[in-house]
Amino acid sequence: MNLRDKLKAIERPKVKATPVDPPPVQQFTDCWHGYEHYPLRDFPGALDVQRETVMLMQGEDMPLCLDPRRILYLDTETTGLMGGAGTVAFEVGLGWLTDEGFHVHQLIMRDYPEEKFLLQTIVDTAANFDVICTFNGKTFDLPLLRNRFIMNRIRTDCLEKPHIDLLHIARRVWKLRLRKCNLTNLEEALLGIPRVNDLPGAMVPERFFNYLKSGDFSQFDDVLEHNAQDIASLCVLLSHMCRMYEHPDQLRFDEDVYSMGVALDRFKHTEEARRCYRLAGGSMHAQGQQRLAVSYRRGGDRAEAAKIWLGMIRRREGGVMPYVELAKYYEHTEKDASAALDMVRQAISVMSEPSLFDDASVQETRNALQYRYERLKRKLGQDEKT
Amino acid sequence: MNVDQLAEQLRSDPLFMKNVVRWDIIPARQAQYADFPEGLDERLRPVLAKRGVHQLYSHQAHAVREVLAGQDVVVVTPTASGKTMCYNLPVLSSILANEDARALYLFPTKALSADQVSELYELIEEMGVDIKTFTYDGDTPGAARRAVRQAGHIVVTNPDMLHSGILPHHTKWVKLFENLKYIVIDEIHTYRGVFGSNLANVLRRLLRLCDFYGSRPQFILCSATIANPKELAEALTGRSVHMVDDNGAPMGARHFVFYNPPVINKQLGIRKGVIPEARNITSMLLKNGIQTITFARSRLTVEVLTKYLKDLVRDPLGNAGRVRGYRGGYLPTERREIERGLRAGQIDAVVSTNALELGIDIGALDACVLCGYPGTIASAWQQAGRAGRRKGTSIVFFVASSAAIDQYIVSHPDYFLHQSPENALLNPDNLYILLSHFKCAAFELPFEDGDRFGNAPGTDELLAYLDDAGILRHVDGRYHWSAEDFPATQISLRSAAAEENFLIIDISDPQKHRVIGEMDRFTVPMLLHENAIYMHEAQQYQVEKLDFDACKAFIRRVDVGYYTDANLNVSLSLLDIEREDERAGVHRGLGEVRVSTLVTMFKKIKFDTHENLGFGHVRLPETDMHTTAMWWTLPDALAAQYDSDTLKNGMLGVTNLLRIVAPLSLMCAPQDVAVLYQVKSPITDKPTIILYDNCPGGVGLAHKAYGMQALLLDQALQVVQDCTCPFGCPSCAGPIGEISMTGKKTALELLQALTRD
Repeated sequence: MNLRDKLKAIERPKVKATPVDPPPVQQFTDCWHGYEHYPLRDFPGALDVQRETVMLMQGEDMPLCLDPRRILYLDTETTGLMGGAGTVAFEVGLGWLTDEGFHVHQLIMRDYPEEKFLLQTIVDTAANFDVICTFNGKTFDLPLLRNRFIMNRIRTDCLEKPHIDLLHIARRVWKLRLRKCNLTNLEEALLGIPRVNDLPGAMVPERFFNYLKSGDFSQFDDVLEHNAQDIASLCVLLSHMCRMYEHPDQLRFDEDVYSMGVALDRFKHTEEARRCYRLAGGSMHAQGQQRLAVSYRRGGDRAEAAKIWLGMIRRREGGVMPYVELAKYYEHTEKDASAALDMVRQAISVMSEPSLFDDASVQETRNALQYRYERLKRKLGQDEKT
Repeated sequence: MNVDQLAEQLRSDPLFMKNVVRWDIIPARQAQYADFPEGLDERLRPVLAKRGVHQLYSHQAHAVREVLAGQDVVVVTPTASGKTMCYNLPVLSSILANEDARALYLFPTKALSADQVSELYELIEEMGVDIKTFTYDGDTPGAARRAVRQAGHIVVTNPDMLHSGILPHHTKWVKLFENLKYIVIDEIHTYRGVFGSNLANVLRRLLRLCDFYGSRPQFILCSATIANPKELAEALTGRSVHMVDDNGAPMGARHFVFYNPPVINKQLGIRKGVIPEARNITSMLLKNGIQTITFARSRLTVEVLTKYLKDLVRDPLGNAGRVRGYRGGYLPTERREIERGLRAGQIDAVVSTNALELGIDIGALDACVLCGYPGTIASAWQQAGRAGRRKGTSIVFFVASSAAIDQYIVSHPDYFLHQSPENALLNPDNLYILLSHFKCAAFELPFEDGDRFGNAPGTDELLAYLDDAGILRHVDGRYHWSAEDFPATQISLRSAAAEENFLIIDISDPQKHRVIGEMDRFTVPMLLHENAIYMHEAQQYQVEKLDFDACKAFIRRVDVGYYTDANLNVSLSLLDIEREDERAGVHRGLGEVRVSTLVTMFKKIKFDTHENLGFGHVRLPETDMHTTAMWWTLPDALAAQYDSDTLKNGMLGVTNLLRIVAPLSLMCAPQDVAVLYQVKSPITDKPTIILYDNCPGGVGLAHKAYGMQALLLDQALQVVQDCTCPFGCPSCAGPIGEISMTGKKTALELLQALTRD
């Protein structure tokens, strides 16, 4: 057996390899370029994106003067979803706003030798922009492009710009309600636009390999369409999200406004966060109030926090928690052990209501209350003695 | 009682001494010192002095000198000789001199890496310098990984992680690859066979990437004593390597006792069991407060011995905890706890498989009991090395089992004491392994026309093949990875086939199913088939359900008086003949075969008496392996002299004899080579005896055996001629129960005929 036959014997390939046609392109002088243009009316408010609003949405610093026309929207289509040095971005879409409308510039490498032209186009284009905006680009697109730049011995500086990753923002605000925050879900839920005949992401890699085998450029048709839609969506979503951050009172869902409060809190926008917590009603009211109280307590305004907890007790919200919080407040801030003890008593009586869902944590809370109760009793006893 | 007193007492005990075949004392050895070599960073010496190190041992100085001179080095020294200094000193020195310099440490297991890092930390902390040492393995939290990639001066990992976690993502490790100065590989003697062949290819990939990033790292390798450390180091790295083997570390005196259990049935050549004898010796050591490690051959023996010994010391105070078992399949946390207990002296006796043979830090113990020959001389010395301190006497008992190889060793103690240990063989060009790593390499970096892959042969054919198969794409002078897969996940370095481990789940408590261990796919059919009795920390479990597709075994606690032993059926078919010859009517061949193994039934065996209590069926899929084999065909005239039963028993006898001599002559572990006979072989259509490499693709053992001409048969003949038993015993052609009354005679005649010129 020669080496070739041995290889065949031990491999037992799963699919029979089809004979490969000669590469569709023989001379490699540039990658494929495509251009799309969308009218400005499809991007309401896109030119009004403000630095201050973007800063509310995430922790990363933005250029002092953020010009919405200097944001580069970027999305890649790749040969594999697992990453690693052998995964290639065979298609890259770049989009940006001008006063006339939204431009999408799409690049395809029709074979591996065209990759360097594709990457060079990214370098040249990115030089004109201050900020990059992606959907999950922080963990996927940009690391992958960095790999490709390194493999082609091109400096990666062009990618090192302030970055707005809409996935991270979306997760913080909409995950509670939508659970899945993929682009399609967000488009439907926030913009009310369904995707029709969209190419599933898992099928993208095989389009490239099919093209390599067949030379049939139509393999890329729906890849390009899918990618252009993604890019345009990024721009629409960014301005939409900005508007929501500017007007949380217009949010229709209590989960969203509450989550936005938590997100704002995370980046220390305390006043804006409290505003959202106050707006959170319905099923989120109790949680909103609790967050609001904690926010005041953390800010040193314990009296305001106490007022909120009292309100919660009045409305029978939050179970045993506001009682415990108030007990702490009376004991440590007001130095009123008997008021604290009274709160603990009420808490114990609330806890004693039978519940179907008693588990270990309930018992733990009971124990903690009992402990607090006894400690306060001792404290009161000592106070009386002295 | 200390070891000296105990040794004295035993030597004056005629009952014990009548079973002692040989009692050697290896005298204490003085330390050989040498000055610190020139060129080490001056910040190192004060720190070492603070730790009581004012001079280096001669081998340490030698190694450091060669490394500083730019050589690739392999250091060969026994356990506890301070070999870590040989690499830590030059590595730390070079990072102190240039803070961009990087080093990569490879250890065969995670446990060993954990030990190493703590030792390095201490040195670095005492110097008060900012040298970042990180472990990067499957347990490294995601958040920490970025820091390791960016800032780690010394990255400690294992071959598996390097293969699937680092190399395929090399672009995230630019700093490491651009500045890689040293690659340290400890315990290289463990990289033999498939694992070694895989590692050699992982290193080919690593060096290829270093080349891309413009670095040329030096190798510092360490090995336990084997016959061919330099050859192994060179096969692994593809470079010529300087060997350092002038051990200068001191060693206390060591008693070496060869103990052969008494014969209880002279007719059948059966001796008293090795397990009860090893148990008695360990109990005696335990009672005298001598900290002991007992090595057993199998996981099962470990469990049986642990149970005996635990029962011996069990009391209401929880003293059973002073005896512990240790083997693969225990969870890492449990293992760490046992290692700590040994170092702290809270555990008096540990019974272990070869899992504790490696350099895992358990401190030095006073005594070691080898319950049976571990299979190779190198292993035996490694295990014996677990007992022995730099000062003070230690004692090692080798307790022979009735197995032929044990009997050979115990009746030829000089073979063990003076013979050089085994060669570590590996075959980086094993086609299976090579092909897999070619894929990984192409994924990591496209091949250019004319590129080589280390010193692998057939680069052009392999690339062209992968191009045809549509996995690579050849365009514009380069081969690009052109598939969706991530090839590294499809290879496991430790077995030739990439398979997932099975989880072992205890379902005794319906409220709380608990994972108590794991096992590789090849061992599962033998030990975890349905109704098997599985032992873990001396607790018996019965396998209730084996979900082969989901890779899970569900077991339930039981308490029964027996254990189970599965029967393995092997069948074989020929793929390709590579070489053939015929001498004096005996036909020999060498070629590639497919070996299919199947477990069909198991026996229930009673504890203590080892009676067979019955059997059960096993229904499991067959596993296939493609490997290299060599075979001898009996001439028709010879075979025609016997009726079929007599011939069968004779061939079985020859097979048993070859199993004894093959590992010794081929210098490999018994499990690395398999021997079987076929009365009508599908290869030759005639009665045939076949010897094959017991791993996919083979590591070269069948080739080596073919090259030995009739040597193996001559040796087998020697053994059967020299044995004084009348009709066969486990030390020669096999017990009568297996080969019948005619087996030994026929085997002798067959061998005489086969070796006649």
